Parts: sequence; structure tokens; C-alpha cells
Amino acid sequence: MCFLGFGSYFCYDNPSALQAQVQLDMKVNTADFMQLYAFYSWPNVVLCFFGGFLIDRVFGIRLGTIIFSLFVCVGQVIFAAGALFNAFWLMEAGRLVFGIGGESLAVAQNTYAVSWFKGKELNLVFGLQLSMARVGSTVNMNVMGLVYQRIKDAMGSAGHTTLGVTLMIGAVTCLFSMACALILGYLDKRAEKILNKEQGKTGEAIKLTDVKDFPLSLWLIFLICVCYYVAVFPFIGLGKVFFMEKFQFSPLQAGAINSVVYIISAPLSPVFGFMVDRLGKNIIWVMCAVVTTLAAHLMLAFTLWNPWIAMSLLGISYSLLACALWPMVAFVVPENQLGTAYGFMQSIQNLGLAIISILAGVILDSRGYLFLEVFFSACICMSIIAVVMLYFVNHIREGDLNLTSWEREKQQKEAEVEDESE
Amino acid sequence: MYAGVWLLLLLAAGTLGVPEDEESRRIYLQFNPGSSSSAVNLLHTRAVGNGSTIHYVWSSIGAPAVLLIYTETEHSQLRLNWTKLLSPDPSGAIAIEPADSVLYSTALAFTRIFEYNDVNNTANFSGAAERYFYPSYDLSNFVWENANNTLNSSSLSFHLTGVNATDPTGSFRNGSISFKVTAYDRHGRDASSPRLLHTANCTKLEFQMSGVQPRGNRSRFALEMFTLEEKSGRKKKRSVRSIDDEYTPTIFEVIELVPDAPNASHAQGYFQWKSVAYGSQNGTRSDSLPCVVHGLQDMNGTLPAPSIIQAFYGEQLGSRYNMVALNVSFGIADGDFYDKNKYLVWSALVGYGTPPRDSFSVLVICIMAVALGLPLVLLIMGTILVWYLKKTVFTNYQPIN
Repeated sequence: MCFLGFGSYFCYDNPSALQAQVQLDMKVNTADFMQLYAFYSWPNVVLCFFGGFLIDRVFGIRLGTIIFSLFVCVGQVIFAAGALFNAFWLMEAGRLVFGIGGESLAVAQNTYAVSWFKGKELNLVFGLQLSMARVGSTVNMNVMGLVYQRIKDAMGSAGHTTLGVTLMIGAVTCLFSMACALILGYLDKRAEKILNKEQGKTGEAIKLTDVKDFPLSLWLIFLICVCYYVAVFPFIGLGKVFFMEKFQFSPLQAGAINSVVYIISAPLSPVFGFMVDRLGKNIIWVMCAVVTTLAAHLMLAFTLWNPWIAMSLLGISYSLLACALWPMVAFVVPENQLGTAYGFMQSIQNLGLAIISILAGVILDSRGYLFLEVFFSACICMSIIAVVMLYFVNHIREGDLNLTSWEREKQQKEAEVEDESE
Repeated sequence: MYAGVWLLLLLAAGTLGVPEDEESRRIYLQFNPGSSSSAVNLLHTRAVGNGSTIHYVWSSIGAPAVLLIYTETEHSQLRLNWTKLLSPDPSGAIAIEPADSVLYSTALAFTRIFEYNDVNNTANFSGAAERYFYPSYDLSNFVWENANNTLNSSSLSFHLTGVNATDPTGSFRNGSISFKVTAYDRHGRDASSPRLLHTANCTKLEFQMSGVQPRGNRSRFALEMFTLEEKSGRKKKRSVRSIDDEYTPTIFEVIELVPDAPNASHAQGYFQWKSVAYGSQNGTRSDSLPCVVHGLQDMNGTLPAPSIIQAFYGEQLGSRYNMVALNVSFGIADGDFYDKNKYLVWSALVGYGTPPRDSFSVLVICIMAVALGLPLVLLIMGTILVWYLKKTVFTNYQPIN
């Protein structure tokens, strides 16, 4: 299941790994190049939401997953074909199709995880998925350049064809993901037969207007998610120049320190996932993660300390947050709304990222990095406020977000006993 | 309530950073005092106030240069001997009366502009091979326009604009070099990039190249200057790294040239600039050209050209003063070349006393105070609320028990 997302994450960052080559071979400037990412992001603001809805309502999880991974595959192939035929607009179209599948696939992956592992090792599974995603990005960053080089050597010259062939090879990982989707579908079907387990939908009538009935806790989780991620990803996107100017790093060092967040989160996510599984207390972990991130941002903003400290802290807290935050959704909404909830979460996260990325650029140009860091810190503080509120809301309503794992187990057993007695 | 305390603390910390010398001075600007000629440019700026006078003498005679003379009286006067000043031996042509009121003086002269072909786009000026250098522009060979026409008494500014006299390559057909000088009568901050903070004790100098045709499309430039200090001291480069780039986005370094005189009895002069130049008029971040200082090299020979420095300090400069030369090169590796907009502007401050330092803006302090205070307030209020609820629940239960 973890490999399901591998292909999409691998290909998502293909442009970034081959930025120089893409710009040279396709003869486009940086702004046009960034369009490749924009074309991925914008449709997702709406689509994730529908993706989740489609999984819950229309296709069911198995068919949904297969369809979305098909989109990813086709998108990547179109993207590569665009390079082969030297048509940049085709590449953009490819990214659009790829985007339709990409984020929705992530929603499907989350839903699968919950339907199989809720009450068991859910946090660990989320951790593993995250680390797989990071491995995908990292492998891509390191491998695509080499592949390009090899093909260039084999063909004797560089050009759009080289790029196209390289990207086609990247598409193989998508095929691999699709194979995973098929296997998953088969396994899930079998499990359903053997265990009489229901598929991740119950046939209950859910409407899009369900969104307004989402519990307050879920909205708070959304708020934490948006405020947190907007202070991490746009910062990493703008970080390279920051390390070069403020800490006088060479471009190479700056690139290295900028990717340390991802590198740390790859091995650490499963560890944290396991830990949160064993200990429960999700809200406390989220709190720790958010406060640590705030500390990291404050360090970067107001001190000249070695940024490796702050960036490592950021990497650690980022993986902890992902492991503790995402599974919480499963505790606050009924299972049949999970797809919608995850889709919505992904949607507003994308929306937040798109808006804040633009805003961050404007702030940087007019007021500089100090102000940008202050702005990001304020976002994190917003997130802290949401965590604190979540804690109290959960406390007052006696929700089970902050129970220890043994308390959860106890509750689950009691519920089973009740079920049996009915 | 906690937010309030935080706010107060941070505000207190913020106000400490505001320079104490918020004094103002009266500025007097004079073009060629005591001469009706407009063939040469000599501008005298007097900044009077607080029982002292700072004289700035700007001139394009010889190479463009400035003298900074600090006197401990409001009534010191500049005495010029024009015939001597324009003669081959100008020594003693510029003097201050009374002579014993002069507490400190220094000078800065701009001598040459280097242009080199940055073939690999590494912006490595000091490491560039000799063969990549074009013949340098010697600023003493320039023809300068009449600065009287540019004198603006409301903004307290003027330009010294010049073009290469010989100009064999025609580079200056549509362009020029200019030094724009702006005096200040009070504490404040510039509206245009790099938005330098200034006091009444300093003057801003902007070096600007506009429309000058580069001799290659990968040309980068550097400005050569020299400065002097009495034998007891020596000019030193000081790089001040700050965490605050609010006013000059992405630029965290301020360079200061200050005398290295640990046991000086009085304040001294300084040159200060942010490590940045701009490649366009609007001075946006995308057009910023980081600049680098190269070497403070001892120059103990005679001056390359007679100038106001010789006129004020007299002969045998080398034996009585420590003279150092330095280059400021513009541009960064993988950055845009001058050719892009054919424009370059670099700003520096020339002043007396402690160089101004940036401090956090009130906006930053407020945002931090609110952002950090609010979660704390919420936490405390929440705890009280939960405690209160628990108590009521507890009291509700008691009768049942």
C-alpha cells in the first residue's frame, strides 16, 4: 500500500529535479517553469474534495483508487510526450491530468489506511506512507539527473527528446503504482469476502452539504493543518536564498540544508508513527510538534545560530506532526465520511499553500526575510491556538483524541462487548 | 494580560534600539563659494548645530572626492584659495578657520571604474584573470557637468555627473556616471532602496551608472576608491551582520569603514553601506546586485591626481596619513549582468559619530507580541474554564453521592 503513492510523489517533483534541463531543452523561463507546479496545484483546490466525495459515494475505494492511479499514469505520459514532441503546452496539460489523479490518490491512500488499520497501527501506517512519499521525492531528486545524463550519453546529444525519454522512464514508477492499486483492490475484495468486512462505504446517503455538519474538532484539525503547512512548504520553497544571504552558505550547502527536512522525515516518520501508536495522546504530540516548529522559526528569524539546528528541529517536528495529526481525522468523523473529510483537508491545504506561496513572495520582495519569518511564526501561533482550542473542546466533550492507547483499546473492547450483547 | 506584558517588554526592547542622537542640524549648501566660475564643481555643505559644524566639501576637480571635517564650533568657516586650488600644486588651498577648531577630518576619493568580462558568470572580481579586464575608466579623465543646475535646496541634494573625456569606444554616448549627494538635517530613513537609516550627522552618496554601454554583454563593474586616516589610526573594514532585513529585503550585511583607533578621545568618521546595489531605478529585490568589498590596500605613494584632498592635507600625505584603497564590485554568481538594464546604483553614507543601526520595526514587535501572547492567554482562559466546569460538575454530582 505504501508503494501506491510512490509513483505519484516520484513524478510530482520530476520538474524540480530536472529544472535546469527542462528550462534549457524546452527554452522556457522560470516563471513558465513554475507553471508546471501551478497547473498541478490549482485544480486540486477543488478536485481533492470531489475526489474524496467520489471515493465515498460513486466509485467506492477500490475502483476510485484504480481510476486515480490511471489518471496519474496518463498524466505523466502526456507530460513526457509533451517533451518528446517539444510542445510545452502539452507538458502543462500533462501536469493538469497528473494533478487530477495525484492528490485524489493521496486521499484514497489515507482512506485505505484508515479502513484497514483503524484501532491498530494507524499512526505507524501514516508514518510509513509519509516516509515512502519522502523517499519518492528524494530518490527522484537524486536519480532523475543521472538518468538524464545516461540517456544523453547514449543518444549523443541533449534536447527535448532526451527529456521526453527520461520522463517516460519516470512514468514507469506510475505504472508500478497502478499495479499496486490493482493488487490493493484485489486484496481488499478478498478481505471483504473472507472477513465479511465492508468496503469503505456504507451506502448511506451523504451529501456535499455534510461539510457543514463536520464537528468543530474537525474544523480545528483543518485549521491546524493549513496554518502549519503554509509555514513549512512555502518557507522551504524560498529557503535557498535565505541560507545563502543570511548564513552565507554556498548554493550547494543551501540546497542541502533546504532538503534536510525531507531527508529527516523519511526515516523518522515510521518511528514517530509507531511511538504515537503505542502512546496515544495525539493532541499532546501535535502540540509538541507545533511548538517545536515555532521554536525553529524563531531561531531562524531572530538568531544567527547555525541553521542546521533549526532545520533539523523543523524536520523532526514536521514528521511528528504528520504522524499525529492526520490519523486524528479518523477519530472525529464517521467512517463513511472519511474520504470527504480527507479530501476536504487536502483541498484547503492546497488552497492555503497556493495563496500563502504567492503572499510569501510578495512579503519577501517588499519586507524581507525577517518579516517573512515573523509572518510564518504568526501562522504557527495560529496553529497553536487551534491546538489549544482542540484540546479544550476535546476535553469538554470527552472526545477520544487525547486518550492513551490503552484507554482507546479499553474503549474499543467495551464497544465490541456492547455490540455483541445487542 | 500576558500579551500586554509581552508587548511592554518587547516595546521596551524595541525603543532601546532607537539611536539616542536624534538631534537636528541646519544645512547650508553652497556651489563654488567665492568663485563665479562654473567650469569646475566644488560644493560646500555645512551641517550646523549642537555646538559643532560638519563641513563636507564635494568636488569633481581631479577625481570626484569628499572631505569630511568636524569642528567643535558652530562658527567655523571654509577658506578657499581658488587660484591655488586650480594650479598644479594645490596644497593649502582649502582650510578651515579657526584651524584649531578642527577635531577630526577624513576624505574619500573615487578613482577608477573597472569593467571585466565575467565569462563564467561567477562574479569573482578579485579572481578574474587579467585578460578579461577591459581598460579601466580613470575618473580623473572625466568631463563633469555644471553641478549648480542640479542643486536642490529643498531636498538638500545635487549631482556630479560626468562622461569619459576621450571615450574611444563610444560607451558614454548615451550614458554617464553620476554621484548624487543628499544631505540630511534630521534623523530618518530613505524612501528608496536600500532604505538606509540616517542621522543629521551624515550625508548620502549614490554612485550611479546609467546608459553607459558595456564593452561586452557579460560585463560586470567595480568601483575603486581610497580613503585616509591620521597615522595614529587606520581605516578598517567592519562587516556587521544583522538579523534584520526588513528595510532591504534579503540583505543582511552592512559594511562600515571606520578608523581603528581604540583609545580615541572623540568620535570619528565613518563610511557605511549595505552590501547591495540595484540594477534598476525602482530598486526591487529581483534587481538587487549584492556587492563585495575587496582588500583595504595600503597606498603610500603620491596621489594619482591633484585633488581637493591634497589641497586640504598638503604635501607629504603618505608620511602623515595612512592611505588605503579598496574596490567595491557589483554582482553575484549566476546573477544578471549590467547589460540587462544598463543601470547600476549603489548607496553609501558618509558621516561622523556612531554609524546608525537598524532596529526592529514596531509592526514586527506588535505581531510577535500578539502572536505569542494570544495562545498563552487562551491556554490560561481555557484552564480556568475547564477548572470551573469541572467544579460545577463535581458540585452537581455531590448530592447524588
